[in-house]
Amino acid sequence: MRKSRRRQLTAIMRYVLLTGWAIIAFFPIFWMISTSFKPDTQWFAWPPFYFPHPPTLSNYLNVWFGAEEYAATQYAISSQKPLISLLNSTLIAGTATLLSVLFGSVMAYGVSRYRILSETRMFQLLMLRMIPPIVIVAPLSLYYSALGLLDSMTGLILIYFLTTLPYAVWMTKSFIDEVPREIEQAAEILGASRWRIIFEIVLPLIRSGLVATFLFILILTWSEYLLALIITKTQVTTLPIELSKYQGTTEGRVYGRQAALAVGITIPLMIVGLIIRKHLARGFSFGMVRR
Amino acid sequence: MSVAAVPAASIPSQPSSRERSRQRAIRRFRWSILAPLILLLAFVLMPVLFLQLYFSFHQWTVYLGSWSDAEYVGLDLFREVLTDPRFGWAIVRSLAFATGSTIGCFVVGFALAYLMRRPFRGQAFYYTIFILPMLTVPVVVAYTAEMLLYQSGPINDLISRIGGIDFKPMWLTDPNIALPTVMLLEIWNWAPFSFIILLAGLAAIPSEPIEAAEILGASRWRIFWEVELPLLRPVILLALVLRFLEAMAEFPKTWALLQGGPGSATETLPVYIFLTTWQYFEISKGAVMSYLVMLLMIVIVLFAIRLLRREKQSLDAMYAKQKAAG
Repeated sequence: MRKSRRRQLTAIMRYVLLTGWAIIAFFPIFWMISTSFKPDTQWFAWPPFYFPHPPTLSNYLNVWFGAEEYAATQYAISSQKPLISLLNSTLIAGTATLLSVLFGSVMAYGVSRYRILSETRMFQLLMLRMIPPIVIVAPLSLYYSALGLLDSMTGLILIYFLTTLPYAVWMTKSFIDEVPREIEQAAEILGASRWRIIFEIVLPLIRSGLVATFLFILILTWSEYLLALIITKTQVTTLPIELSKYQGTTEGRVYGRQAALAVGITIPLMIVGLIIRKHLARGFSFGMVRR
Repeated sequence: MSVAAVPAASIPSQPSSRERSRQRAIRRFRWSILAPLILLLAFVLMPVLFLQLYFSFHQWTVYLGSWSDAEYVGLDLFREVLTDPRFGWAIVRSLAFATGSTIGCFVVGFALAYLMRRPFRGQAFYYTIFILPMLTVPVVVAYTAEMLLYQSGPINDLISRIGGIDFKPMWLTDPNIALPTVMLLEIWNWAPFSFIILLAGLAAIPSEPIEAAEILGASRWRIFWEVELPLLRPVILLALVLRFLEAMAEFPKTWALLQGGPGSATETLPVYIFLTTWQYFEISKGAVMSYLVMLLMIVIVLFAIRLLRREKQSLDAMYAKQKAAG
């Protein structure tokens, strides 16, 4: 009797604590979404408006489509091109991630089956990711400007490819390690070449793992800020950089517009993250967590 | 334990010509797999590191025109940076920021993971909500924080209403609390990372030792300290180490929100290097600072890697034993 009361109490405590953090975790996201639907008089009103009243789409139409008729003229920022940035972001993040997963998974196969990199080397590979990017951006931008890669997609794709490769190798290796070798041995006896074994047997077997890795790395490249800030100038901008342009405007605080753009940047990422939520731990844990 | 893993192939034998050609093919295969990585290192990373070294010993700014005109100054720049109190403070701030946010992320992440370690009604819902902050782009976190934290903004309003007090800290403009504010944002943003790793770690703990301890009559508290915590050690270390390294490199939130201000209250290492290079255009000084930070980080990372490797090996051994047992 006493024990079941206690268990009930623990359960209630658990819900209280979890709900408390859930509110903290969700409130800023709620505020961003709510602000994106607010008319300009409510962006920083006192007392604050928690819900848009009435909700309006004008922020979205103005920010994404540059629809002037929806813009109070002083907030119109004509020079921004978010749709082009969206295209750039998609192309850059998509290509870099694809390269990373493709080459990373082949390397991972080599590591898993032929030990082309010792465990020490595998950990050293992580350094590419663990050294702060700030320490190389200055020489990188000068090097790129000499090569004519500054302000180009290729430049960003190359550097994203390099910095996400360690994650790709580690994550796909954890999937490849789980594939039984018997199948490959059978294929080898039947005369399949090593490359055919990789591309026609092993990689198709870890399809879902590859998708998870792809989406995981997409999260990293999509939201990258510092390298994009330095390497892109005017021709090529990614969405995070586009968003930061709203900060320095002379018109003052344009919260509604920022929020409308921020929602557009964040929602795809959240969808991707929720799709692979079961694999997130694996991506981050370098083989230290197994299920 | 690695002694047992010496492959049979290392025993010297007389390789047949067929065996030799097979070995050659495998070697070629290995190199072609590694080629892209080697090319990237050789043509992207190496030149960059070389340039950084060059600028560390040559005084150059953008006004000078071409790089080759830069004057060789030996170790002068290193002396300048090492005696620059701003650089020293930036190191202190970065370490404080990284330590504080790492501990914060760990405490929150561990508490949530521990509360959710067994299935219960609504678990999937909470899990989904809890990982959302991690999926928010850091720049978006910064701008949303600005919308929330100005002095008469919604956060202060909400806390004042709930607490029935006049709660009006200047989160972003008071130099004493600006850095802790960014730290709180970092915790909000990345506690989910610690949470998912620790939750996966807790879920992977085998149930036998816990049940055995329960049968022996150990208290809940003792089970936690003496059974669960030691089994979790590798995962805990991972959560702490990775978070610390990422926090040392944190730039988007600090920069987008405060650009190092108010005053120099949030001038962490990445921010100070960025300011030096792109606002004061002292490329060479920035390169020296980068160089020193890189050395510092390499030391920290090597130490971290050693820690993680040792834990991973003991973990691998444990799993291998488990597999062999059944």
